[in-house]
Amino acid sequence: MKWATRAGVHIDRAACAWLIRRHIDQEAEFVFVTDPDQVPTDATAFDMRGVELSHHGPDCTFETILRRYDLTDPVLWKLAELVHEADIDDERFDAPEARGLDVVLRGLSMVRDDTEVLELTAPLFDGLYEYHRRALLLGRPL
Amino acid sequence: MEQPGTWVLLCYRVPREPSAPRIAVWRRLKRLGVAQLVDGLVALPADAYTREQLGWVAEQVVEAGGTATVWLGRPADARQERELAAAMAEARRAEYLAVIAEAEDAAGRDGAARGQAVRRLRGELRRINRRDYFPPPEAERARRAVAHLARGAADQPAADTASDVEERQL
Repeated sequence: MKWATRAGVHIDRAACAWLIRRHIDQEAEFVFVTDPDQVPTDATAFDMRGVELSHHGPDCTFETILRRYDLTDPVLWKLAELVHEADIDDERFDAPEARGLDVVLRGLSMVRDDTEVLELTAPLFDGLYEYHRRALLLGRPL
Repeated sequence: MEQPGTWVLLCYRVPREPSAPRIAVWRRLKRLGVAQLVDGLVALPADAYTREQLGWVAEQVVEAGGTATVWLGRPADARQERELAAAMAEARRAEYLAVIAEAEDAAGRDGAARGQAVRRLRGELRRINRRDYFPPPEAERARRAVAHLARGAADQPAADTASDVEERQL
């Protein structure tokens, strides 16, 4: 399936792309647009104004996708807190690592294009997932 | 003469009732440090971040049953832009001065209370920095005041923790 989002990806879009590939569509192909009108007709748009898979109320797009696809895995919801804070920074959640994530993504976007950012951040989100999965299993406070 | 830069403007109207979504929008705009031009029209210097943020606020307004449009525009002359920037810098200046006053106030407290004040003020500084588009001189002063307080807090660690009391008794 084709998925479209705005060019110049940051934390929310990178995390969503990872989420889509790992949990929704393994064959996902991503296109980046600079205007909503450029979204191909056969693509599902995300993290853009006026589309279903986007910010809604207090939610960032990562949280919206978890809700729309009924993904209830608590580890994914833990990652959602990090993504939310790195993206919106409204202190809804206590996620001190969010600030670091924000900086890492901003830096990466300065030296790599969107496709490369998605490739580079996939193992990062895999690792964050594994870290928080183990933490949750062991009941380790974070 | 210097050309005014591009600004992103949000023209919005949120229904008066219910008040919760209206207040949520107001808080979000305040957090972003917008310049209020008139009722229902706010502005920020345009960049990828501010354009995106005001876009999301617009979305939130529409979801709350209101109307919102996002615009890009330039003040017609440099003087208007300077005045806008000065008003925004003044709003931040007041916030930095509050941080400086609190840091000076906390300097007289014991180690634990100082440590607590350092953590809180660092958070506060970061929130102000994020919405500071035209940093006034007080930005650097506030940063130094908190750094100074942090050095003091580190030199004089918490005196009232159980382990410290034990240490002294040994």
